[in-house]
Amino acid sequence: MRLLLILLLTLQINSLKADEIFNLLKIPNLDVYKLNNLNGLKYLNTKKNFKIGLENNIRCNKANKNNLDEKFNLISKNLSIYGKDFLNKINLRFIVLCENLYISEINTAGIPDHKKRTLILDINFNKKYFERVIHHEVFHMIHNSFENIFNEEIWSNFNDKSFEYAECSTCSDRLGLDLYNKTNGFLTEYSKSIASEDMAEVFSFLITDKIKIKNIANKDSILFNKIEFIKNGIKKIENFKL
Amino acid sequence: MIKTIKTSFSEKILLIFLILLGIFSFSFFFIIKNKCLFVEKVDPDKIQFTNRQNIAIMNVECGNVIIELNPKLSPNAVKRFKYLIQNESYNRSAFYKVIEDTLIQAGDLEFGNIDNINYYKVGSGKSGLGTLKSELNESFKFDEGSVVFSRNDEFNTEDSEFFITLKKIPLYVGEYTPIGKVIYGLDALKKIKVGNKVQYVLRPDFINYFKLLE
Repeated sequence: MRLLLILLLTLQINSLKADEIFNLLKIPNLDVYKLNNLNGLKYLNTKKNFKIGLENNIRCNKANKNNLDEKFNLISKNLSIYGKDFLNKINLRFIVLCENLYISEINTAGIPDHKKRTLILDINFNKKYFERVIHHEVFHMIHNSFENIFNEEIWSNFNDKSFEYAECSTCSDRLGLDLYNKTNGFLTEYSKSIASEDMAEVFSFLITDKIKIKNIANKDSILFNKIEFIKNGIKKIENFKL
Repeated sequence: MIKTIKTSFSEKILLIFLILLGIFSFSFFFIIKNKCLFVEKVDPDKIQFTNRQNIAIMNVECGNVIIELNPKLSPNAVKRFKYLIQNESYNRSAFYKVIEDTLIQAGDLEFGNIDNINYYKVGSGKSGLGTLKSELNESFKFDEGSVVFSRNDEFNTEDSEFFITLKKIPLYVGEYTPIGKVIYGLDALKKIKVGNKVQYVLRPDFINYFKLLE
């Protein structure tokens, strides 16, 4: 009898309470935050902490209401530069807002899911980089939709022949997000992790600090080529001025 | 010496109340088990339809559900839906996925027939007719009783599975291909068996038959 009770309680705790959002995105414990935005983005927040992914390796916490309201304005302002058509082309429709996002125990600013057209954002991510990383994550959605345009092999050839990226972004200790004083083809330490992160870093700086980056690129031929590559790639998708 | 204590008037009232309560509980538990008891029966013969060629009648345990199909919004989806209804493909199709007070899903023709339901594979079956391109429409409001084709994570994967919403779900606008709306009999769908805490239902309810009015 006691065993049965324990079993029932365990089932009660472990079973996911399915709802319409889970049915669509396969992420539990979400709530609608704001629909009907001009560019068609749908913002969701967290009712409770959630865990998803292989062996629940992705986790994020419920967002505090005040924090959420404050960060939402910043996030929606940054994402409002992307039009509805562009977002459709890059398969971005849902923004999930939560606190302290981790993947395989590494804190991350965002996790894009191209298939489910979703971007999970950590609203507690370091304020210093917060706005820029939003665009960084958007670039991953762009890249996933247009891998042929943003070819990693072509990109890697811009670098010195002696340079090698890491095997994956999470298996590298190159995590710094500060802009280098001396770039040598890379804007940040994180740029050196893998090609797609390098592209995303260039894109995000082009959105948030265009003039400064262009000035740096005038003295850095590798970076100049990378910037041109990103700009031309984006032009092929839409007339989006970078 | 033992004194006999007479029952007071209020004690008698309490006793009668308890007996009545017992009778009521007994009858409620054993006699009124019929979940369809308070569901209003819908008789399509008594309804005047203006759009008869786009009316479908789905019969479930608690009665008829009348669906008005909308080929203007999604012509290919409605054509497929009508074809499957005419072929009686949906007959005995299980409502294997039910989210309480939210939506009910049926139409897996390969693994979701109640006579040989495959609980491991249900939801992944094919109709054999191929997938359809999504026909999304931002103007289709997901009110209570919206009937739409289901799909997997990606668009353009609609086949035969469909779901019906039991509440307003604005989040779904532009996400699923609309087929039509339930115009009568939604209460019968609200009585469809729900899973225990999970969305997949063991020994689910099913569609008795599905037919077009004309």
